Amino acid sequence: MTAQPTPAAAPTAAETPLSKACQPGASALAGGPPLANVAAALAQRKQLRILAFGAAPGRISRRGGYTALIESMLARALKGIDVIMINRGVSGELAANAAVRMKNEVALEEPDLVLWQVGTNDALAYVAADEFAATVKEQLDWLKAHKVDVVLVGLQFAPEMLRDAHYIEIRDTLRKVAAAENVPVVRFFEAMQIINRADTDGPGPVADEFERDEAGYNCLAQYVARAITLGVFAKGMPKRVPAAQ
Amino acid sequence: MTREANAVDFWRGFALITIFIDHIPGIVYSHFTLANVSISDAADLFVFLAGWSLRLMADGGGRHMPTRDVMLRLFGRALELYAAQVLITMLAIALLALSATELKNPLLLQWHNAAAVFDDPVPTHIGLAVLTHQLGYFDILPLYVVLMLMAPFFALIDRHAPHWLLPLSLTLYLAVLVFRLTLPTWPVSGTWFFNPLAWQVVFVLGFVFAKGDSGIGAWARRHIKVLRLVALPIVILGVLVHVFDWWPDPIDVPNPKLIFIADKTFETPMRLIQFLALVTVFSVAFPYIRMAAKLPSLNATVDGLIRLLAMLGRNSLYVFCVGSLLSLSAQVVRFVYRGTVGSDTVVVILGILIMAFTAWLAESRQRTRPAGPPASAPAASPRS
Repeated sequence: MTAQPTPAAAPTAAETPLSKACQPGASALAGGPPLANVAAALAQRKQLRILAFGAAPGRISRRGGYTALIESMLARALKGIDVIMINRGVSGELAANAAVRMKNEVALEEPDLVLWQVGTNDALAYVAADEFAATVKEQLDWLKAHKVDVVLVGLQFAPEMLRDAHYIEIRDTLRKVAAAENVPVVRFFEAMQIINRADTDGPGPVADEFERDEAGYNCLAQYVARAITLGVFAKGMPKRVPAAQ
Repeated sequence: MTREANAVDFWRGFALITIFIDHIPGIVYSHFTLANVSISDAADLFVFLAGWSLRLMADGGGRHMPTRDVMLRLFGRALELYAAQVLITMLAIALLALSATELKNPLLLQWHNAAAVFDDPVPTHIGLAVLTHQLGYFDILPLYVVLMLMAPFFALIDRHAPHWLLPLSLTLYLAVLVFRLTLPTWPVSGTWFFNPLAWQVVFVLGFVFAKGDSGIGAWARRHIKVLRLVALPIVILGVLVHVFDWWPDPIDVPNPKLIFIADKTFETPMRLIQFLALVTVFSVAFPYIRMAAKLPSLNATVDGLIRLLAMLGRNSLYVFCVGSLLSLSAQVVRFVYRGTVGSDTVVVILGILIMAFTAWLAESRQRTRPAGPPASAPAASPRS
């Protein structure tokens, strides 16, 4: 999707707004480190190439779905920038397999930014936390070495998983690795947990849960778009969250 | 009457068990499959042997078959594969929905690209029907369907201009690598996990190498000893690449990058060459395995193994379909029982037993059928 070009030499930014339903979850999002390579690419090429990995790119809806929402929000926020979203998500893939595939896709597609939703499948498949940490760290180091920025997207939320010690361990491991590597991570699990708490007193039927989860991906797209714009302009997370129009 | 155990059925059975295990992410036994010591994996073997079987179908099992009959037979086969794909996909979706409901966990509805079915069912059901939406680990059969739709053209070229088939296939393969041609997915944007335009080369290689009396198949058989000497270091190098992590950095290789990197989607040359080397080296193995079955100390074990794998291979479509659903069921079981070595062992043993039962059932059904004219079932015709 191409936004209206502007004559300015550098891209201008607008806040990517959060819808009212998604605002409670924003308190679980931390201000991330700057996305220096993305900022440089925007200034030089007026183009942002994003490679999406993980289960989230497989989420679609009549309104367009996860990647389309991010693309349109970024196109609005980054005036004059051509935003190109490349979807290579494979849901169900372990981090180790995704890492191998990602290297090839990065070489072929030459993205400025990788969006990587990771951890859920490793948690569900009981991959050891240290093995998972080593895989993610190695991949983040490789991406850094090749000047490709990353925004990590954390584990998916389901109320039942709060009782799963391994799931929580993988969630926390991802957060620790991201902090150690100074990479922004959208803490999807925590954000959805907050929204869920505000929305319901407890888990309902699976169908309701799925609908809530579908709405959660709408929020996730907003959080990711916000993390990217904040990373580009390195402002840190604003204290007051503007509501969507 | 079932055919005798042969190398093709034996190795196809091996590929089926390997695929079953490889499709259970995180299972302890996945550390011991071909993919851990080889650049190629069981998927390459499965497609190559599908091409090999195509030779038997296209040549009519030694009897002359009119071209029109061959075409109809191959299109019919593609339709059969398509029906199998639609059936197992619907069962897989039902299995995920049942598991999510019983375990009260909506995460299971999102496994393996299933989320789109529940997110936006109207376009996704169209995508499922036209194979542009594929569930994760249920993406080999769509490749096989497309290859079987291409098969009548392969068979036609092979009948009228046999020396042109492999060069044409290789030309398409190279064009795919250079221009990165692929098939898109829809409604979720992306590309096919197995690119049929690239994988057709494995299928065609199986087809041409299966012909033993002329062409490259005859040439390979005449020079098999020399070829094995060339192939062995390549196989060893493949093992070393895995053990010492000698994979080339895809960023550093020259353009067109797909020529130089190891990529499954595009079945890149590194994978293809290593696979052909593997086939060349292991083509010697089956006769020795048979000889081992005659040793008193190994007789029961090895003979049982040969008969089991050959039976799976003879009924590979049924076994593949059941195996795919078993892999998905095994993932749910691992999720519930937390994937211990014990539960993994039970899962693998039960899975193989059920696959064996499926093959036995298919053969029993065939044995109890009233005898028909032999033309409808040539001895070497794969029901796979």
